[in-house]
Amino acid sequence: MTEYLIRRILQSVLVLFLITLVTFALIHAAPGGPAQIFLSPNMSQEAAKVQMHNLGLDKPVYIQYIRWIGDLLQGDLGYTFKNHIPVGDILWPTVKNTIVLMSAAWFLAMLIAIPWGIYNSTAEYGLSDQTASIISYIGFAMPTFWFGIILQEIFALKLDWLPLSDMWTMGKEGQPSDLLLHLVLPVTVLTLGFLAAYVKYSRSSMLEVLHQDYIRTARAKGVQERRVVFRHALRNALIPIITILGLDLPMLVAGAALTENVFNWPGMGRLFVNMALAREYSVLMAITLIVAVMVIIGNLIADLLYALVDPRVQLGRKGGRAA
Amino acid sequence: MGNVRKWATSFLVLMLIGLVIAGCTNSEKTPDTEPTVTPESTAGTGTENDTDENKPVDGGTLTVGTFSDIVTVNPIFVQDTSSGDAVTLLYAYLYDLDRSGNVTVEPWSLAAEKPQISADGKTYTVKLKNTAKWSDGQPVTADDLIFTFDTIRNPDVGSPGISQFDKVDSIEKVDDHTVNIKLKQVYAPFQYSLFSQLVPAHVLKDVPAAELQKHPYGTDPAKTVTNGAWKWSEWKQTQYLSFEADPNYWGQKPHIQKVIYKIYADQNTEVQALIKGDIDMVQAIPVTQVDAVKGQSNLRVILEPGPQYEYLGFNFDPKNFKDNFVPFGTQKTRQAIAYALNRQGMVDNVLKGTGLLMNAPFLPNSWANPGDAAVNYNYDKEQAKKLLAEDGWVAGDDGILVKDGHRFSFELQYNAGNSRREQVSAVIQQNLKDVGIEVMPKGIDFAAWVDQNLTPGKYNAILLSWSLSNPDPDAESIFSSKYFPPTGQNSGWYKNEKLDELWVKGYSTVDQNERKEIYKEVGKEISTDLPYIFMYQYGLPQGINAKVQYAEEHRPEPTLAYGYLYNIINWWIKG
Repeated sequence: MTEYLIRRILQSVLVLFLITLVTFALIHAAPGGPAQIFLSPNMSQEAAKVQMHNLGLDKPVYIQYIRWIGDLLQGDLGYTFKNHIPVGDILWPTVKNTIVLMSAAWFLAMLIAIPWGIYNSTAEYGLSDQTASIISYIGFAMPTFWFGIILQEIFALKLDWLPLSDMWTMGKEGQPSDLLLHLVLPVTVLTLGFLAAYVKYSRSSMLEVLHQDYIRTARAKGVQERRVVFRHALRNALIPIITILGLDLPMLVAGAALTENVFNWPGMGRLFVNMALAREYSVLMAITLIVAVMVIIGNLIADLLYALVDPRVQLGRKGGRAA
Repeated sequence: MGNVRKWATSFLVLMLIGLVIAGCTNSEKTPDTEPTVTPESTAGTGTENDTDENKPVDGGTLTVGTFSDIVTVNPIFVQDTSSGDAVTLLYAYLYDLDRSGNVTVEPWSLAAEKPQISADGKTYTVKLKNTAKWSDGQPVTADDLIFTFDTIRNPDVGSPGISQFDKVDSIEKVDDHTVNIKLKQVYAPFQYSLFSQLVPAHVLKDVPAAELQKHPYGTDPAKTVTNGAWKWSEWKQTQYLSFEADPNYWGQKPHIQKVIYKIYADQNTEVQALIKGDIDMVQAIPVTQVDAVKGQSNLRVILEPGPQYEYLGFNFDPKNFKDNFVPFGTQKTRQAIAYALNRQGMVDNVLKGTGLLMNAPFLPNSWANPGDAAVNYNYDKEQAKKLLAEDGWVAGDDGILVKDGHRFSFELQYNAGNSRREQVSAVIQQNLKDVGIEVMPKGIDFAAWVDQNLTPGKYNAILLSWSLSNPDPDAESIFSSKYFPPTGQNSGWYKNEKLDELWVKGYSTVDQNERKEIYKEVGKEISTDLPYIFMYQYGLPQGINAKVQYAEEHRPEPTLAYGYLYNIINWWIKG
């Protein structure tokens, strides 16, 4: 197990390095670099060149990359190009804000969807199941930002019950009740998005297991239905669900750019869009790196959880993987 | 390793999304990509009518919505609108502008009197008020002025304002509050270089030139010493900035106690926030939303053309065309195109009935407007066809005109995502199709467009606009053959010797009446020769909550740069 973990972590470091390399190269290959930010009717090409030089943007890309990775190894995420602000100063507050928003939606979706999906698998095509289907279709089909605008229109403007956008009312920063009010609309939007997938997955995963022979055997020998569902079926059905949850874990940090934009939530998704438009590559690199780390952690956690719920999975042994 | 592939895939998707976003166009970086305007102001609750409430009250907060964050408030490096807004609140101008764009002195200007220009037109004497102070209590002196201008002039600094000072020969201190600025030659637009802010020499004088841009002055509120009515209290990057009335401000105190600039990532949300009352002012409401805002009784919308105009720009470099043939290479053909375009129709339909037609690169309301001296091209298809026929164009098999074996077909580029230009380019396409010219509109991401087409001057034709940061009519750097790409802004490689000379003549005298005559001639020549088809002047609809009050003489002035904050020191918030 320890050996397995060490191997996974070493692999991860290598992969992270490759990711930064590829991302850095791709970002710099995209047309319209930071130089174009300096375009203005008042600004001559010479002045722009001097600025590029003073900001170190005129160095070859590989030199810039070596510098960047060197700083990173010392725990320094670098500075924004245009105004030399430490990337961490901009980034870390948004990470926190995104985690608040996304985990609220994620837990809520999980709490609703998994029990609901399980129930629906036992009452296939019943009213509850049909309702879940409709909600899932809506959740999949409706663009989240559009749903957000509709909610804003109704609850913030027409009814005036809830705040329109942002995380806090100006001057009420830090008040939990103010935060809760601001969470309602974006969490509703995001929960619907998560819910749509989770309810479907948990239902179908349960159904698949419930149709297995050993379940029939259990029922045939007179095991209580409750026990069949929760003891025999659920444990196996959870494996694919855990995969999905693990894959969604990075979302908790990466945020949902569109929803964050519509609700002006000061999170990392909104920051990413903002900084992409501003061509602030150092911030983009930092965000990419954080999300990459989260993807790796999410997968690792999912793999470890397999082992917990499924004794057949023996981590670290070749060919021992189920699922 | 199935899981490696699994997360490698999710990662790739993420990166692609990032790239797509990075490739998306952005409006605030352009000098000009914002939507349009209607010229009459739809008065909601006019402040000037209710005499009871006409008395200013002190206190209150003005919350302004904006679409993009600042870069720096150091005036030496400011070039984007958001940073410019902040600077306007934080710093006193050396000189201010009156509503007609003349350099003037207000009680809140740093200068004590108008600049004295010597008889030979080369020396400007600037006298500072002896009352002005920095927010740290130090007096504003001649040293600050000299330091600021010398820093901008220093090529190692990289100030975007450097070209405004390239005619300066020397700057000399006469006494603590008086400075003489000597120019190498007579250069009339220089008066507008004095419409600027100063930075404190005592804070920045020991910073090496190449380090200035990285210096926290301008990005750290605690280290940014200013001299305006408000001082910088807070900056939460990408979220908001706040400014508090400076208790030690040297002039008459502003009425508004606190100004907050709140940054919205989504323009729709920004407008909703204005309607809901979360914010009190938005400087650029998208045209599509203007009607929604107009319907609100608590809001007023100011719709007037601003200091920017749109044009259809031709490229004259044969290398950019198939067989090295420039289809609009002759004056007659360009005039035919001007006749073929229904500009008033565009103003009526795309700009919703407003915007002002123009025929020369001078704003219709400026003192340099050549008026009837410039040729006006009415929408006249028949005249267009006649001119094209005279110029040797004949209809080909597919209905498109042909001359010497060359089809009259060109690509018209604009920045993708700008809905006004999308619509206008479609109208241009249709209008020109009617006279047998094939236009292929193409939207390109703004940054990539600048990089690959505008800067190197590689395109057939463009739809773009200029926004004018000061009211001077000089436009040599756009139209003169001295300013060819890639270093100059004459990206269409236009050359007209007569105009080259006229531009020089225009700035070589400080006599405004004489200049007016010269720009009349420019207007006549440029509207005849047509390096551009000049389209219209347009503006950005400003939305203001009724609780923001100002006397009529202090109302916003949309025709000036940053005019939506005009005289804000005299505005107040109704409780």
